[in-house]
Amino acid sequence: MIDFARVQKELQECTKDIEASGIRVTPKSDSLSHLVGIIPGPIATPYEGGTFQIDITLPDGYPFEPPKMQFATKVWHPNISSQSGAICLDILKDQWSPALTLKTALLSVQALLSAPQPDDPQDAVVAQQYLRDYQTFAGTARYWTETFAKTSSLGVEEKVQKLVEMGFPEAQVRSSLEAVGWDENLALEKLCSG
Amino acid sequence: MSKRVLCKYFAHGACLKGEYCEFSHDWTAPPSNVCTYYQKGRCAFGSRCRYDHVKVSHAESSSNSQQSHVSESVSITHPQLSRPLSPFPGSTSELAGSEIPSIPLRIESAWGGESEHPDGLDDWGNGEARVVGPADIPICSFAAAGSECPRGENCPHIHGDLCPTCGKQCLHPFRTDEREEHMKACEKKQKHLESLKNSQDIECSVCLERVLSKTEIAERKFGLLSECDHPFCISCIRNWRNSSSTSGMDVNSALRACPICRKLSYFVIPSVIWYSSKEEKQEIVDSYKSRLRSIDCKHFNFGNGNCPFGSSCFYKHAHRDGRLEEIALRHIGNEDGCRIFSVTCISGEEPIHSDVELLGVESDIIEKWKGWGIEHGASNFSCSTNQIKLMTLCHNEKMNVANPSLFFR
Repeated sequence: MIDFARVQKELQECTKDIEASGIRVTPKSDSLSHLVGIIPGPIATPYEGGTFQIDITLPDGYPFEPPKMQFATKVWHPNISSQSGAICLDILKDQWSPALTLKTALLSVQALLSAPQPDDPQDAVVAQQYLRDYQTFAGTARYWTETFAKTSSLGVEEKVQKLVEMGFPEAQVRSSLEAVGWDENLALEKLCSG
Repeated sequence: MSKRVLCKYFAHGACLKGEYCEFSHDWTAPPSNVCTYYQKGRCAFGSRCRYDHVKVSHAESSSNSQQSHVSESVSITHPQLSRPLSPFPGSTSELAGSEIPSIPLRIESAWGGESEHPDGLDDWGNGEARVVGPADIPICSFAAAGSECPRGENCPHIHGDLCPTCGKQCLHPFRTDEREEHMKACEKKQKHLESLKNSQDIECSVCLERVLSKTEIAERKFGLLSECDHPFCISCIRNWRNSSSTSGMDVNSALRACPICRKLSYFVIPSVIWYSSKEEKQEIVDSYKSRLRSIDCKHFNFGNGNCPFGSSCFYKHAHRDGRLEEIALRHIGNEDGCRIFSVTCISGEEPIHSDVELLGVESDIIEKWKGWGIEHGASNFSCSTNQIKLMTLCHNEKMNVANPSLFFR
């Protein structure tokens, strides 16, 4: 059974110092067992300026079992699968401790972005590139950050505004945007097809 | 002083009078079946009373004789109503009469109805009861409880000195050992309360709740780790240590480690208070261990079972007849098969002497053991358990065994 009282407390704690850490955790649904974590790309890395979304699923044994975390935003990183977003991080596996929280785990993920471990890769292709040709790696990572981690320079409200101006009802716009992860192009496609 | 009746306060473990109590503090004493009302001279049940209407002779009862013996030696006399005499000047007779028959002098005077003066007690043939020293006067329970004594100045009992710790008048001025006992108990209580207060704000790092404010009363306890000082509630730390390693977490490196500092601890100690010093922690650990020591191990099951913890078990390993477990030390399992020895201990009082049978132990090791004063026979040793421990340690060191206590089986 998930200790929801603890999850609730963690969320409160996290909202408190959102300014300092930049890490956000919000529930995906009412159940609190599915959450979304948002981390800013660390400064002085190819991920700088990006905002990365991480899907969090809490197992039944939480906090005695580690939360399942996966990047929802595509990332070019030796320890993160470029296909599935799976994260290779020991504290999310055998080094988990119940004294860790969602916030500290996300901080560790953020630290992983700034300090890749190519010797223990999740994505062999990326790891190889990182070891052999760091310049190309950094370039690709930066490009991926630009393409996928910067949804757009527009804020959420601006996107809604833009689509509403095209003639779609606001409620529908919001739900479509949310469904596609706030990508206005995908949302437009969805709105046109649906 | 006659101590026939078992003190009911003592029976509940709450008698404050200690050895000064007029009632018996001896569990083994046979129960008295003597009617106490009859002793006072008046029993409403008369001949239908279920207790013995006999007058107990003081000399007999003070020798702590068997009940049957008492019955034989007592002489049944017609009880006379009499006004009890109070040994305390200034106290009113009603007050003294309403007292429990606590002071032997008063009971005696009730029996000796014909006597109007203390000298009439001579028929007891025992003068000692007449001497009432200040130490024999009990302490006033009203004053000791911290409330004002309704009898004030006229109280027949002593109003004790103020205890510096609890601030109540509960120190008997003439019973030094009782004073000390109270002071010690009081200080201990105070210390406990203080640490309980300090423990209130401590949070469990797993459930993030204040341990002593948890909703489940059973969970309002700390789980102390033997090797580090990070606070957890007992349920969280036990849950963590017992959690099945579904995500590939290793029992020995991850689950037994402190969730915060990852230091390995081999046991958890439950405690209602959090400690503030090393000594306090040690005290908690020691009292926990000694408590477990008194409980029979269910795995050992009086010798019928097999305890996986062997001699490192915290619980008591004793046979039904009270005999402690024989420590049999067997050490087998080296590849070359030559370093094998077995120990059979003859249990009894410490130190336990044992015959150690040695098979193929190198001579340098034997020399080392001899240096520890272990006598060496042809193929066996006579040594104490501690020496066996040393021997195993030495032996295991050569074999790189991490946990020598495993070999005390």
